[in-house]
Order: sequence, then C-alpha cells, then structure tokens
Amino acid sequence: MNTVDRGKPNLSQVQPTPAQIARSLISSRRSEGSGGGNSARGVAAACDNLYRELSRWVGSDGCHALFTRALAEARAEHPALQQIRLRARSDPYVDGVAETIIARGEPATADALEAMLVRLVELLGRLIGDDMATKLIERSLAALEIGGAASDDKQEEA
Amino acid sequence: MKTEERTAIRSLPSGVPGLDIVLGGGLPEFSFNLIAGGPGSGKTILAHQVMFANATVERPSLYFTVLGEPTLKMLRYQRQFTYFDSALAGSAIQFINLSAEVLERDLDEVLQRIVSEIERAKPGIVVVDSFRTISGQPGSPERAASFDLDKFVQRLALHLTTWEVTSFLLGEYAAEEQRNPVFTVADGILWLSQATDRNSVVRKLQVVKSRGRAPMPGLHTFRITDGGLQVFPRIPEQTRNRALQKPDRLSTGVVGMDEMIGGGVIAGDAVMLTGPAGSGKSTVATQFMVAGMAAGETGVIAVFEEYPEEYLARANARNPEVGRMLDEGKLELIYLRPLDLSVDEALSAILESVERLNARRVVIDSLSGFEVALAPTFREDFRESLYRLVGTLTATGVTVFMTAEVSESFSEARFTTEKVSFITDEIIVQRYIEMEGELRRVMAVIKMRGSEHSHQFRLYDVTARGVVVGGTLTEYDAIITGVPTLRAKPARSKRGK
Repeated sequence: MNTVDRGKPNLSQVQPTPAQIARSLISSRRSEGSGGGNSARGVAAACDNLYRELSRWVGSDGCHALFTRALAEARAEHPALQQIRLRARSDPYVDGVAETIIARGEPATADALEAMLVRLVELLGRLIGDDMATKLIERSLAALEIGGAASDDKQEEA
Repeated sequence: MKTEERTAIRSLPSGVPGLDIVLGGGLPEFSFNLIAGGPGSGKTILAHQVMFANATVERPSLYFTVLGEPTLKMLRYQRQFTYFDSALAGSAIQFINLSAEVLERDLDEVLQRIVSEIERAKPGIVVVDSFRTISGQPGSPERAASFDLDKFVQRLALHLTTWEVTSFLLGEYAAEEQRNPVFTVADGILWLSQATDRNSVVRKLQVVKSRGRAPMPGLHTFRITDGGLQVFPRIPEQTRNRALQKPDRLSTGVVGMDEMIGGGVIAGDAVMLTGPAGSGKSTVATQFMVAGMAAGETGVIAVFEEYPEEYLARANARNPEVGRMLDEGKLELIYLRPLDLSVDEALSAILESVERLNARRVVIDSLSGFEVALAPTFREDFRESLYRLVGTLTATGVTVFMTAEVSESFSEARFTTEKVSFITDEIIVQRYIEMEGELRRVMAVIKMRGSEHSHQFRLYDVTARGVVVGGTLTEYDAIITGVPTLRAKPARSKRGK
C-alpha cells in the first residue's frame, strides 16, 4: 500500500486507490481538529467539505448528482445509509447522521459514509479519469488547508 | 506617433496551428475577446487550446463554466484531445462553475464571483463558457428587467483588463446579432462557422475584429482533429526564395523530353502535363521526381487519386529508387484525399513537407483528383484557389509538376483543361493517335514561358522503365485530330523523259 502523508496529503505523486483518497479526505478533516478520525460525524464532515469544494469546479447540481449516485450505490451494501439524506446547497450537506448513529451505531455509520465517499471517487474517476479525479480532490484538500489556516489566523486575532 | 513611442502589445500564442498567422502574430495580451459561433463549431476546443498553450502555475488560466455543457462532461471530452495535459489541469488550469450565481442570484453577484476568483488566482487567461447563458436570450423581458447587460459587460471588461487578463467570452451568436453590446466592447471577435453544401460540411473561421492588429482578412478553413483545431490560412506566408534560385534547368528524367523543352524544366516554374487516362502522366511525374533525387535534390509528391501504398507500389515497379528515397527521408508522399478538403488545407500540408525537406521539386498528381477531393463549395473557386496554391508554392522556389487528365475524343483536339492552363508556365500534352491500325501515344510542348521549345509531335512509349520519347511524325499530317494521314509524296515530274 502506498504511504500517504495524512497531515499534508499529496495524492498526485502516485495514483492512489479510491479507498486511499477517501481515507485522505477523512484524515484531512481530522487534521482540522474538528472531529474524531473515524467518527461518523467526521466522515460526514469530510463529505460536506468535498461537496462544497467540488461544487466550485463542477457546480452544486453536478456535485449533488455525483453524491446522489454514490449514495444509491453504497446503500446496496450498507443499509445504514437508508436514513442518510443529501441536501443540495445546504449546510450540512449530509443529513440524518445523528439518527443513523442512534439506529445503527457509530462504527456502522462511519463505515457506510466512507463507502459512499469511495463510490464517489470511483465514479468521478470513471467520468474524467483517475488522474483528473485525484487532481480535483487534491485541489479541494488544498483549499481546505488554506481555509483552515485562515480560520486559525482569525481565531488568533480574536 | 513615432514607432518607438507606441506601447508594445505583446502577442500570446493561440496554441492553434495556423491561427497566429491569421491573427497577425498571435492574441493581443490583455485583450477582451469574443469567440462566437453555433453549436459544435469548436468554441470550447479553441478556448482550451489557448489555455493549455499559455497557462502556468504562476499565471494560471481560469475556465468559468455557466449553464452550458456540464463541467464533468466537458472535462471528459476535452481530455480526449492531445493538447489536454492533465498535469496542468487543476493547478495551472482551474475550472470554476458559476451556475449557482447565474441561476439563483443576479449579474452583480456573477461579476463579484468572477472578480474574487481573479483576485485569488491572478490568472493570465480567463474564459467564460458560455457567456450567452449569462446574458440570457435576447428580448427576454425577465432578463432585461433584472440584468443590465451593457453595464455588466463594461464592468467585466474593465476588471479583466485591470487585472491584466487576456479573456475570452464564448457564446452562440447568429450573424444578425452583432449589435449586441458585447460585440462593441470586445477587442477581438473570432467567428467560427460550419458551411453546409449538399452533403459537405466545411468549417470556417473569421477574425471579425482585432483591435491593434492587422489580421488576415477573409474566411479561413479549419479542421478539428484529435489535436484540436487546425486553421489553414487563406493566404499563407510566402517566402520569396524564387529570386535566389539560379534560373537553371531541371531534368525531367525522361529520355528525349528535356530536348523537347529546350534543355529541361526551368527551375521554379509550374509545369502541367495533361493527357487522357493511361497516357503515362504519373509515370512521367515519378521520373521527374527520381531525376531530382539523382541530382541530390529532395521532393514531395501529393497524391489525390490513389492510396499511397498503391501509388508507391506502381512507382517502385518502374523506379525502385522511389522507395529507397522515401526510406532515406529525401522524398515525402502526401496522401490528400480526406472528405471535404480545402485548397488551403492541401497547400498547408504540402508547404509543411517542403519546409521540412527543403524540397526543390513538388509533384501534384493529379489536379483532376484534387478537384474531386475538394468540398463542393471550393470547387466553385477552383481556378482562384489553384492560382493561390501554385503561386505560393512557386514563390518558395520549388518547381511544381502537375498532372491533369483530359477527356479525349477523336473528333476534337483538347490539350488542357481550360480551368488551369493559365496558371502554368509550361504545358506538355499527351494524346492517343491511331496509326496503321494501332493505338499510339504522342506528346508535344504547347507552352513554355521564356524559352524556345520543340513544336513537333513526338511518339513515345511507356516501357517497364518508364516513358521513352521516340521519333517525330514529319511525314504525317492531321496528327492533332488523332488520326494522322501519311502525306502524299510529290509526283515525279515526267518532263524531260
């Protein structure tokens, strides 16, 4: 397995698998310090971030279409996703996480959301090529880092 | 104003082969341009070529998509082209979707978003695709009420120029819409169109406007290949090498023919060999080329009637040197029989080969095949187009040897096709005659500018090694009719007997 610097992910150097890309997205969310790495809420937040950043490139409707299909595909293997809803142009984008955790438990919910993320990366790769998909996601991660740094600065100023 | 006082406007490469010549040197830096044309005319491809030719990480290109082709689909299709470098996409080339601003907000917010992205990325190139979807449908009352398009375009142009951005708005416009404010504000307008004539479709590009530049006028054909757009300028750059050429004679390689034309073809001339089917025109053309190779010259053969493999097999059977010369890179065989060919496309291909090989001889075999390969719309202007083709080629100093088929009837003499004879310096004709119950071949020189030449008909044979010119027919009359008659010998005088 290729090693990935989870602090500063650089996905383009070696073509990672969709699962590795999904892990990087979740890890980047963890490095922001806003939730446990494998917590269901952490994975949902990673999805929210990706939706927000990817929407800049492909439009919120285009991004929502990708997530919707990824969710539909992942549901077949993860019944925990039955209560998950995607709300276009809303924050949070992934809705129903708390209810799912109560109904299915934390680990099952986190696994299911991660599976949705993997499906999304696979789908994007099929549409525009794995290298381009990785690039787009890498740009999203970079934007998150910049956004995170800016927010840290604001906190220090306050 | 003196030349040195002018503010120099740098030119950016368009990344489109042939387009920089049409633009008068390239795209003016920091200009605000409109790329207009109907659906499928190649606007998006052209914009991508410009971006990939200029984008760097330091000065990236921003591609704003609006409501037209979804970004994912566009990326999926664009990456099929060879210019698409996925290493640049994402860093040096960034795609930004404006659909939310356009659908849910107003033009002020669209402008704000564009400006904020420009401030963030500090791009060198900005593309808005499709600008038409921002401006709305003309005459739409709800759009007219909510959008002050004139003001928007003015402000957008101002921002883009202030940020030292070279920008391109893409839009589907019809010719009658040129009163749209964007046409007034734009520094440059590139119009892409597809002309349909019977079953043929020809793509054309026109530089309608280019401030601060002297673009090449007229409509220029272009083709979309896996490399993107390739433009074929209507009047290509001409390098006048002809004056540098020695006015020497070039051997035709045909035994007896050089003697008929006063010692050989005049270097830099356009020669036309006409004759009916099977008269040996291609054989002579090949001999002409082989003679050049023997003299250490390089050459180009443009084939229109046969597939190159067939042409080569036939040429090799008589002149095995042809294959060897191709292998050694002294000869290039260009096959030009695509659908809807334009004269400028053919000229571009030939000129490229001539430059690559520094060729001195060019064979076009044949003009008849060339005319058939052209899109119908270009056949109408065949004389004018051929005039430019031959003029451009001979201006580079090469000697052009063309073949042309003429239909032949025994009741009338037809030496050349009236369409093309005026463009040539030298004309040699071949024809069949009937003699003593046999079909024989004769040739004659009917035009040779600036040189003496034979006025005799000469018999010739097409042998296994090529065409060989034989004797004259001085004892015959009416050769020109195809049925010569043996002149009656004068009756011996009986006086004195």
